[in-house]
Amino acid sequence: MRRLTSLALATMLLAAACSGGGSPGPSVPPVSPSPSVPASALTPTKLTVGLGYIPSVQFAQFYLAQQAGYYRDAGLDVTFQNKIDPDLITLVGQGAVDIGIADGTSVIPAVSQGIPVRYVATIYAQFPNVVYARESSGIRTAGDLKSRKLGTPGKFGSSWIMLQALLGSAGLTTNDVSIQLYPDFGQGAALQQGAVDAATGFINNEPVQLEQSGTPATLLKVDSIVPLPGNGLIASSDGIQAKSTPLKAFVAATLRAMNDVIADPQKGLDAAVAAVPELGKDRALQLAILKATIDTWQSAYTKAHGLGAIDRDGWTKTVAFMTGLPDHPVARQVSVDELVSEALLPK
Amino acid sequence: MRVRASDVAWVVGGAVLFVLVWQAVVVVGGFRPFVLPSPFSVATRFVEAWRDGTMEPHVATTLGEIALGFAAGAATGLVVGYLLARSRMAERLLSPYIVAAQATPVLAVAPLLALWFGTGLLSKVIICALIVFFPIAVSTMVGIRSVDAELLEMCRAFRATPSQVLAKVEVPGALPSILGGFRVGVTLAVIGAIVGEWAGGERGLGVLINLARGSLFDTPLLFATLATIALIGIALYMAVVLLERRLVGARG
Repeated sequence: MRRLTSLALATMLLAAACSGGGSPGPSVPPVSPSPSVPASALTPTKLTVGLGYIPSVQFAQFYLAQQAGYYRDAGLDVTFQNKIDPDLITLVGQGAVDIGIADGTSVIPAVSQGIPVRYVATIYAQFPNVVYARESSGIRTAGDLKSRKLGTPGKFGSSWIMLQALLGSAGLTTNDVSIQLYPDFGQGAALQQGAVDAATGFINNEPVQLEQSGTPATLLKVDSIVPLPGNGLIASSDGIQAKSTPLKAFVAATLRAMNDVIADPQKGLDAAVAAVPELGKDRALQLAILKATIDTWQSAYTKAHGLGAIDRDGWTKTVAFMTGLPDHPVARQVSVDELVSEALLPK
Repeated sequence: MRVRASDVAWVVGGAVLFVLVWQAVVVVGGFRPFVLPSPFSVATRFVEAWRDGTMEPHVATTLGEIALGFAAGAATGLVVGYLLARSRMAERLLSPYIVAAQATPVLAVAPLLALWFGTGLLSKVIICALIVFFPIAVSTMVGIRSVDAELLEMCRAFRATPSQVLAKVEVPGALPSILGGFRVGVTLAVIGAIVGEWAGGERGLGVLINLARGSLFDTPLLFATLATIALIGIALYMAVVLLERRLVGARG
């Protein structure tokens, strides 16, 4: 009898587990409206869009496109979700988020691990992660970082990759620098207090705040060393096929809003403040951050090929660089075709 | 202590069932490996991570933090628990703070501790100790209070010194309860070490989780790390159970 009870219990457990319990089964691609019918003529197509972890003025173009009705006019019903990069890439790959903004250097290891995402439009045409220091520190080049204290959130992610490239250009490794870890992104405060000589940060955030506080800053950028791909829009491989029309419309509307914000940053700031009222407390700082953000949207490549254009040569160089890193972030050889797709960019 | 074959069979049977259910969920749900890897791919990655030396330094770091954090938390918990049991004033004075400290999420406190004490070993030991402290303090308090009052009366009648009362009556009487607290505390120490590593650190299984998830996108390695953490927790719990059986005998 006891054996029978045990068997019954095991069978019930198996049956319950196999029923899935409503968990997200990703094997079937989501259904999209027929591409032959204009999206705006139908019920708006719902799109879930993943932005960075914290709502910020750096996402002004998305807020503006939403508020100005660019998404609505394109037949879209857009919902924003704020997620951290690793979560967002997985969710996009799974199909739970339709399109999102993610770091190019995260897309490479993710794809090498079989996460089916593609980078579909460049947002940051210049790599936003930099090393910065107080001008008074005497740090002018990557070589000046030798034996200096450098604050960074952790030995992983885009800042760590950028740091290795930067130091490598001066014949240094991360062992030649005294790395101080600030996992809660306190490296900016540490730099201001003099606890470190230099820090990693985002060109449109911490250095701007340092300058705004009256301390001139020196920036060490990686673009001329390895053209690492900055943050851009990513979509799932299935989504690019199945939701091609609405995703194309989303990309076009977002790029239109980016052009608007470049032409009139104040418009972008107003949209960001309307979306995140807390940003209105210090409009001067937020405008400075937005202007620094706008600078990173553009490069010689995007000036020649248009906003959103993907620099495949830069991606090739980045794959080669990341493949040689000592912590092996790239699990297998990946081609640029596996990483990027221009299918959603305006012709 | 003899291990019965039927006990082993139940443990092995449970593990086999768990793996079968897991595999069934993967197959029937059609989950891709980056969402839910199969038990086979996790097992393969587990072996690979141990063979290529990925796992070992992280495990050593986490075990060191657990040992120090548990020792600090348990020692403090024993002393404070005894004080709470024997001094009404201490109980009134300390209880609100102890309960408040326990009710505060350690995840929220960990970044602050990392800020104050750095991201080295000290902050992790403190986080571990904080999380271990409460169950051991409470179990000690309950255990000491449950000591037979007539035995204590007898000690007084025979003019036993306080240290004699402690060593001969109170500790033996409270030991089952204290060791119950140890069982809970030792598993919480594992959580404390991982949380401490999430708040900052260069090595440890918490760091490896972050690397696997946030930098390498290696879901099988993430699961292999979780399995290692679970095995450490089970091993430590079993160590306390064995100690308990040795000191107070098997229950039930």
